[in-house]
Amino acid sequence: MSTQATSLTAPLLSRVPGVAIVLILLSAIFGVLSPGFTTPANVANILTQSTILLLLALPMTVIIMTEGLDLSIGAVLTFSSIVLAVTVIATGSPTLAFLAALAVGLGFGLGNGVLVAVFDIPPFITTLGTLGIAQGLSLLVTDGQSVVGIPSSIEHIYSGTVAGIPLPVGIAALAYLATHGLLYHTRFGTYVFALGGNREALRVAGISVRGMLIRVYAFGGLMAGFAALLMTARLNSAHPTAGIGMEFDAIAAAAVGGTSFERGNGWLFGTLLGVIAVGVLRNGLNLLAVPSSTQVACIGAMVIVALFIDGLRSER
Amino acid sequence: MSTVAQKTIRPHHLMSRDMMQAFYRLLAVALLCAVLTTFSDVFLTMNNILNVLRQTALLFLMASGLTLVILTAGLDLSIGANVALSACLAASVIKLTGSPLLGVATGIGCGALIGLANGILVTALRIPSFIATYGMMWMLTGVTYYYMAGETIHGFPASFRHLGSGYLFGVPMPVYVMVLFLLIGGLFAQRTTWGQQIYAIGANPVAARLSGVPVERRLVLVYAMSGAMAGLASLIILARINSAQGDIGEDLTLPAVAAVLVGGTSLFGGSGTVAGTLIGALILTLVLNGMNLLQINSSWQPLVTGVIVLLAVWIDTRTRRIGE
Amino acid sequence: MADVPLFELRGISKEFPGVKALDDVSFEIRAGEVHMLVGENGAGKSTLMKILCGAYRADRGSFFSSGEPVTIRDAGDARQFGIAVIFQDFTLVPYLDIAQNIFLGREFPARLPGFIDRRRIYAEAERVLDMIGFHIDPREPVHSLGVAQQQMVEIAKALSQDARILVMDEPTAALSDRETELLFAMIARLKAKGVAIIYISHRLSEVFALGERITVLRDGRKIADLLPAETTPDQLVTLMVGRPVDTTYTRPSRPAPGEVVLEVKNLSGPSGISDVNLTVRSGEIVGLCGLVGSGRTEVARAIFGADRVTSGEIRLFGEPMAESIEASTRRGMALIPENRKTQGLALARSVGDNIVLAGLRKMFPSGIFVPRRALKAARSMIDKLRIASPTPRRPVGTLSGGNQQKVVIGKWLNADAKFFIFDEPTRGIDVGAKSEIFRLLDGLVHNGAAVLMISSEQIEIVHICDRAYVMRSGRIAGELAHHELTEANIVRLGIHQ
Repeated sequence: MSTQATSLTAPLLSRVPGVAIVLILLSAIFGVLSPGFTTPANVANILTQSTILLLLALPMTVIIMTEGLDLSIGAVLTFSSIVLAVTVIATGSPTLAFLAALAVGLGFGLGNGVLVAVFDIPPFITTLGTLGIAQGLSLLVTDGQSVVGIPSSIEHIYSGTVAGIPLPVGIAALAYLATHGLLYHTRFGTYVFALGGNREALRVAGISVRGMLIRVYAFGGLMAGFAALLMTARLNSAHPTAGIGMEFDAIAAAAVGGTSFERGNGWLFGTLLGVIAVGVLRNGLNLLAVPSSTQVACIGAMVIVALFIDGLRSER
Repeated sequence: MSTVAQKTIRPHHLMSRDMMQAFYRLLAVALLCAVLTTFSDVFLTMNNILNVLRQTALLFLMASGLTLVILTAGLDLSIGANVALSACLAASVIKLTGSPLLGVATGIGCGALIGLANGILVTALRIPSFIATYGMMWMLTGVTYYYMAGETIHGFPASFRHLGSGYLFGVPMPVYVMVLFLLIGGLFAQRTTWGQQIYAIGANPVAARLSGVPVERRLVLVYAMSGAMAGLASLIILARINSAQGDIGEDLTLPAVAAVLVGGTSLFGGSGTVAGTLIGALILTLVLNGMNLLQINSSWQPLVTGVIVLLAVWIDTRTRRIGE
Repeated sequence: MADVPLFELRGISKEFPGVKALDDVSFEIRAGEVHMLVGENGAGKSTLMKILCGAYRADRGSFFSSGEPVTIRDAGDARQFGIAVIFQDFTLVPYLDIAQNIFLGREFPARLPGFIDRRRIYAEAERVLDMIGFHIDPREPVHSLGVAQQQMVEIAKALSQDARILVMDEPTAALSDRETELLFAMIARLKAKGVAIIYISHRLSEVFALGERITVLRDGRKIADLLPAETTPDQLVTLMVGRPVDTTYTRPSRPAPGEVVLEVKNLSGPSGISDVNLTVRSGEIVGLCGLVGSGRTEVARAIFGADRVTSGEIRLFGEPMAESIEASTRRGMALIPENRKTQGLALARSVGDNIVLAGLRKMFPSGIFVPRRALKAARSMIDKLRIASPTPRRPVGTLSGGNQQKVVIGKWLNADAKFFIFDEPTRGIDVGAKSEIFRLLDGLVHNGAAVLMISSEQIEIVHICDRAYVMRSGRIAGELAHHELTEANIVRLGIHQ
């Protein structure tokens, strides 16, 4: 435990202010503006609604740490969700459907990884291209319509509770712990830091940079597959535009949390706080009846504020 | 080191490569036309040809400004969202004042301002262009939806609609606009000192800076121009469909990126032409139009565009590697 | 056993296109010995070490490990013989901690596959750090460490791989006096443990304080192999520079210099230069020399407006300069940067495009670019500078180094520059092209231009320049008038005594 404490507290002291100040500010503003904001039910609501974003923001953090980017993650989430819905309706087996969604996510992730690592295509353009592909496939399979008629067993995954804790929160907590373990306790995680920080060091140490990059993007796709399960359960349907733009929230959460686009400087706990900040902002704006699309502009502004606070601190 | 470079890049080889690339692209256009003529009765009709030209014009207008950005090794992903906001604001102004001229000024002005903001994010804040303009895209979308609140603005004066749906000597108006901006864009890139500096920035920003090129100012200019071209494109769409909605132009960004890359402009900066982008826009339009004619589900379009982008960049990466 | 060297290189030769980097060099290293490797910039020290660690392959020569013949084909082979190099640019990952960096790629597996035995990594790291006497928490992230501490981590990393031969390339270049002391104490401990150290240095004080043996390289040849007791600092300097006079170029006599073109007063800046004073007059070539890293390039960049300055004054033709490259170029200043591929040229663009780039504003004040006129100007520059390119349309990346350099110079001639800063103008250029570049320089000053020339080749400074400033640690260590301008004087002023 002591090792973990140091690896957490060192960045904690230097970075919490940016994202924490933003969180406190947001909570204060919404607490004053809308009385319903601070009720326990609403807090639980915020946490539950943040779970899907967390599943995307975790791998996004890892990918950004390698000086990469995954713009396709929202579209891959959408397509996985559609495959899940279609499969469960066709076969009646939730397990098979879930596996199919994971396979779709993993497939796209591997594809991204190969294009970036082997074909040397810059990550942003690679994932912009696969974004188009995943979006196209979603439209093709659904013909632009919602996929409805999903068995209630899937829905329970989102609405159910275990020992009083909402099931999605439990799943997200597990995902967070797993990613934390992966990033801070495995060889994979160590090499993620090196991919962004000093690829030459990795090469000198005899580690395949290409292989590592493929794995990083595959991880992103796989997590999008997991997130698809929660999203399908939440909506009790699959829709070809449901997850579009989620990548923006995920990038914003990582950026607010203090992960930078340079030198492998990432912080998973910051991303967790960033996800909650995005959740608080969206929830508060919902309570104030601000339309969903406009919330995006507010998220952008929040990122700029957080980066500004961090910038102020680092200059001191 | 220098001798290695000498061996691998042969000048005659490089010069012919430019010509070969143009040749391949025109060949692709011819092939596409041949295939579409064979498989569709409608393709060679006057109506469809005019339609293809109109669509090409629209795509080219967006892609021409983007070409300048990509020439500097940057990217502008906000042009689609820029079109939406510019169109909606222009529509409001026309409705409010009844003056098409003010509407045109609003559309182009709004586009240019958005581009200016991108330029400032990229130069002053040093945010990578693809991140800055991607964030800008979502913020603009948000602002547009807020502004429109689900409403539609429609019904514009005939004089304004003429810009999108009118004809002159049997040729659609947008085609004249396209030719005009092909000339302006081409002349700007090839025949002004600023154009030369833009190529130099894309090829080697450090060398450009050390040669006294005001790199930041030129970059801001380029993003502003890209934004202004998106604003202009928004007017053409507005005039053509005679109504403005929040989601107008949303799905035009990826095809515009594809048109620039297919047109032979390198994603890594420093090489490419505005005229090439015209051919790229024509190829993209033929592909998308052809899919319509062959009654292929329109849902294939983002997928096909995505694959085209990836292929174009892959070819670009490969030729660069051979060049090195 | 004491006579069998731990490792030995025999008859090593290495040629790069146009340059014989190493010529029949033999070198041996014994256990527990600090072996100093000295020589001027470009004498072949780095090449020799790169061959030892497997980064380059020798054209000829053989290797012996403890007397047994062996081969070194790549870095893996070298590591097998216990050879580790600590280069100036570290191979550390900033956001990993010290222990993770030491064992990068060699993590101890835990029971769960893929997981790391963290306890063992930290324990082992502590052991290695203890061994070199570096008392620090191995959980400290590397980005928060200073250069000296990062160097310690590099050394720990090398030792954790059972290195028996440690190569250090100017390890004290970025260290303070106190840090240097710590490093020396550590070297003493390593020696006691039987680790052999090859130490490259320009600081004579270190050479005599630490070295047990000194090998002097000059122009790719081994000049001497001596014991510190057998020699003096002065003798060593003579050995380092005493090469035959290069007769490929003799400069014509020049008339007395004219008005002051550039005047720099008390210039200091965040790039590490402090209190720099110099003047350059029209019609003269002034040298700016000193060791690599002594601040020569930084001075040039500050004068040109490429780097920020904190205090001081720069005047060109008596007028104070604004801190901007644009203003500098507009007023007739030119910089021929040290790396023409990354800083001087847009390699993928044509010779003509590159030649007209800096002069666009002057040639086309209206902003309308006329390709015909640009081509004409480029052609005349190609003729004037005798650039070996049949057409201005040829990509500049296809030219040889010398011709590329002429294109960079042509760029500024075309912009009507009056004051030129040349930073290592002959680097990577073959002998014939060098004298052509010198003739060009002469032509420039003959026509009234002023030139500030940076070079690591002392002989060039001596032959080309009218006088020279010598830099050391970001300051001007001294000025040498024409009659004082000798290689030995330059080295003496530039080296830490």
